[in-house]
Amino acid sequence: MPAAVTALAVLAGGCGGGADRPPERGPEITRRPRAPAPALRIGAPVPLGDGRHEARWTPVRRRVSARARPDLAAPAVARLATRTPEGTTNIVLALEHRDGADGAPWVRARLPVLPNGTTGWIPRVALGGYEVVNTRLVVDLERTVATLLRDGRAVFKARIGIGTARNPTPRGEFYVRNELRRYASPTYGPLAFGTSARSATLTDWPGGGYVGIHGTDRPERLPGRVSHGCIRLRNPDMRALGRLMPVGTPVTVR
Amino acid sequence: MTELRFDRLDTDGALVDAVAALHDQSRADFLRTAVVGSGALVALFARPTSAEARTRDVAILNFALVLEYLQAAFYTEVERIGNLNGPLERQSRIVGAHERAHVRAFRDALGRRAVARPRFDFGGATESPERFRRTAVGFEDLAVAAYKAQAPRIRSRAYLASALAIHAVEARHAAWIRRLAGVSPVLEAFDEPAGRTEVLRAVRATNFIATTRSRRSPRYTG
Repeated sequence: MPAAVTALAVLAGGCGGGADRPPERGPEITRRPRAPAPALRIGAPVPLGDGRHEARWTPVRRRVSARARPDLAAPAVARLATRTPEGTTNIVLALEHRDGADGAPWVRARLPVLPNGTTGWIPRVALGGYEVVNTRLVVDLERTVATLLRDGRAVFKARIGIGTARNPTPRGEFYVRNELRRYASPTYGPLAFGTSARSATLTDWPGGGYVGIHGTDRPERLPGRVSHGCIRLRNPDMRALGRLMPVGTPVTVR
Repeated sequence: MTELRFDRLDTDGALVDAVAALHDQSRADFLRTAVVGSGALVALFARPTSAEARTRDVAILNFALVLEYLQAAFYTEVERIGNLNGPLERQSRIVGAHERAHVRAFRDALGRRAVARPRFDFGGATESPERFRRTAVGFEDLAVAAYKAQAPRIRSRAYLASALAIHAVEARHAAWIRRLAGVSPVLEAFDEPAGRTEVLRAVRATNFIATTRSRRSPRYTG
């Protein structure tokens, strides 16, 4: 008898079973160990949400020119450094992704340059990995109110001080570039956020006149048009905002 | 051909920690003994000299978790950027949901012992269909080979059952993306269990680890 047929006969008859006395149950089944229960609970697939409240930002890894189109021959709209004037890593807000004329990936990004609102195309190779935030700070200049949204819902609201008529806080779309504690002082409060917004009138200020979000030693003057363009909060509000708002958060000033 | 750079893959060191635990080594010892580069990935699949079974199983699960983090982050970024259409978009959306479910399952099982999610830089691989295809093939083949290599080393049958359940799904993912990429879903009648060469070849083919130029930690506070 061929070996394969013998093996099948053993399976069918069992080890001790004779051909004339079939077993009541298949021994090959009863002798199998029970399958262990899996230790991990693999739940249902986890779909993404719609992402409409998310924003993506990325560090600038090497000095690079942002251009008008995704093409190395296109005019440069800004020169980007790897560091901010405060010494932190420079970041940009990613808006769009496309292959360029060179066949390589490019990213259209919101830029921390004048005129405010400038965007430009950057070779992807000059940027780092993406980070995602689901927060947005909305600054209402008419009502002098700042509201932090998370997933589209308000999680923080405070009355604020804004720029005077002579040195107004610029309107537009910006983002938080860094979180600074080194300037903790009576004047600036416990911490400050640097933004990509720049004063159009005070460009000769140290660092280029970037608009900050910071505390104050004159809380009685808030809310009001009291600053050189920065957004001032009472110190307790600033501490609360510091716990809630990550770097990279988009800022809408309207 | 792009050289596999382990240090670029593992920017936050989570993979190093997980693999060092597999080998009963400290992170520093592992980095001293592992050649940074493709040799380090080869070391992932070497047998550790000794380990207490439960500790080793936790380390294997953490290693798998890092691979799942990698895949989940990749597909999530692809879906968010939204540059895919048609069957590729559908594949990335469905597989991404699976990979996120795997991450959740490992994190639930490991609890406090779960390694933290590393940061990833996919360097443009998530931003065009062609680069996505290449990278996804590499990732899925890598996952299949990695589970296959680790499964015989798992002591707990319950963990092994889970690993096999995931391994089968990763194999289906690999076949799916290979089909979409126009390459054969199945080349051989048997898949080699060690898979070192296959894994390295697949990772190199993705061009995944090509763009991070500096290991300096970025600072966003000051």
